[in-house]
Amino acid sequence: MIATLRHEFGMQIRRPALWIVYGLAFVLLVISFRQGYLIPDIGRVPRSVTTDLLAVVGTVNVLMPMAYGCLLADRLVRDGRLGVSEVLDAAPASRTGRLLGKYLGACAATAVPIALVYFGRVAVYAVTEGGPGALPLSVLVFAATALPGLLFVGALALAGPLLVPLPLFRVLFVGYWFWGSLIPADMMPTLSHTVLSPGAHYAEFGLLYTAPSDPYVLPYGPWPDAVLNVLRPVASPGAAFLWMGVMAVLTVAVLLLVRLHTSRTA
Amino acid sequence: MRIEISRLTKTYRGGVHALDGIDLDVPTGMYGLLGSNGAGKTTLMRVLAGLLRPTSGTVRIGGHDVTTSAGRLAVRRELGYLPQDLGVYPDMTARGFLDYVALLKGLDSRPFRRRRIGELLDVVGLSGVADRRLGRLSGGMVRRVGVAQALLGDPKLLVVDEPTTGLDPEERIRLRIMLGELAGERTVLLSTNLVEDVAETCRSLAVLAAGRLLFDGSTSRLVARAEGLVWTVTTPGPAPSGRIVSALPTDAGTRYRVVAPERPAPEAEPVEPTLEEGYLALMETTRV
Repeated sequence: MIATLRHEFGMQIRRPALWIVYGLAFVLLVISFRQGYLIPDIGRVPRSVTTDLLAVVGTVNVLMPMAYGCLLADRLVRDGRLGVSEVLDAAPASRTGRLLGKYLGACAATAVPIALVYFGRVAVYAVTEGGPGALPLSVLVFAATALPGLLFVGALALAGPLLVPLPLFRVLFVGYWFWGSLIPADMMPTLSHTVLSPGAHYAEFGLLYTAPSDPYVLPYGPWPDAVLNVLRPVASPGAAFLWMGVMAVLTVAVLLLVRLHTSRTA
Repeated sequence: MRIEISRLTKTYRGGVHALDGIDLDVPTGMYGLLGSNGAGKTTLMRVLAGLLRPTSGTVRIGGHDVTTSAGRLAVRRELGYLPQDLGVYPDMTARGFLDYVALLKGLDSRPFRRRRIGELLDVVGLSGVADRRLGRLSGGMVRRVGVAQALLGDPKLLVVDEPTTGLDPEERIRLRIMLGELAGERTVLLSTNLVEDVAETCRSLAVLAAGRLLFDGSTSRLVARAEGLVWTVTTPGPAPSGRIVSALPTDAGTRYRVVAPERPAPEAEPVEPTLEEGYLALMETTRV
């Protein structure tokens, strides 16, 4: 597993497309925020170091995961496309270990630009406003809010192209990200803002942000007039851990299906 | 490593019988597997490499049953495999690719790995391009990288599927010599549709057609199948009857080499058969 992890990390991190796509996503992100198109929910509440960090991670989490999923999508299917699978499958290394190594290595490398943008912004924030205490807190915020969704999306992006052609999967994935993570819950039936969404709201509002009594801020949870509200419990630490658990279970389930698929094709 | 195959069948989805009741015993040394495209050679190779599970029958390699996962794993530890359509990561170097495969084969010691990869790059004559990206190497060079990766871990069983396909004559000869030298204590199973490859490297072979085993034995026995059936005819007129092996233009007309059960023309002369003619005679007499 370690060999594959190192190998996949190295191949993905050296890939020019990785930096070009993220570069474009970053430019788009900066333009969108300057124009005021994207305002994180957290910006409406009283400020603290935690809410500022949540705003940063929320900002990064809008567009960057789309690039992340699209860039990961070819990692598994390309072994077959290039004809490398036979040589690798004939080696005594276990297929499960190789799959895990590929998943972790490729996901880690693809998440590097996201982490660079996030921690870069945090570093600037720590120097100018937040103080050094913001740095360790930023690690916790990233791990609790962004990481569970990225782990799930990574597994989904590896698995999807086993079922549909790669270009189509990328289109569907972008659609899924908007539909399942970004759009308002009352716009149409959607998984957005539910515990099944890879968006980080439950960890933000349930675990990290403890709002003072503010009659103008509604608790995060069910949306008026939205369907699937059964999947939108009121944000609480329990709901946040539920969301993390759901992301973990979905990740493992998708990886198991991929492993099953590779066995069946043998 | 001895390979014992008994009543082996492989049926793909849709009912295609790729292998149909194969019984074969492959001893240590170089062994050829001949057959036309679609004969079932690659399926057999993939079963032996543990990449495909047979539909029925048994396959034992060095005493390990490859129909079980424990057996497949044991065989993979002793296996070097060069698939027919070898793919590589085009953005990796030859050295990097070999290093990755070596790790997957359990060569954990870095100094040993580096030394062994250096030796193998020498063996396949690629030391000079070891740090060049694989996407920039010729087809023949990539094939030699494939041979090098198959040799990592000093395998006792080497399964090579059509290794000379697409190579120029010089590279083909070089690869054949290399495989012949590697045989020694190993079992080298060479699958090909080029009779010349087998003729130059193997003393025993099997012939497959439409998933069935048509022949197994020594190359001389296969040659003997064409004894008294090969003729030369030089004629300015139409081609003689029978299976034409070659047609060489001469001043007196075209000189044909023909495999035929009876003298194909009054002026036809009997000649000593080659392995290729033995193969053709076999295919003619046992059409499936």
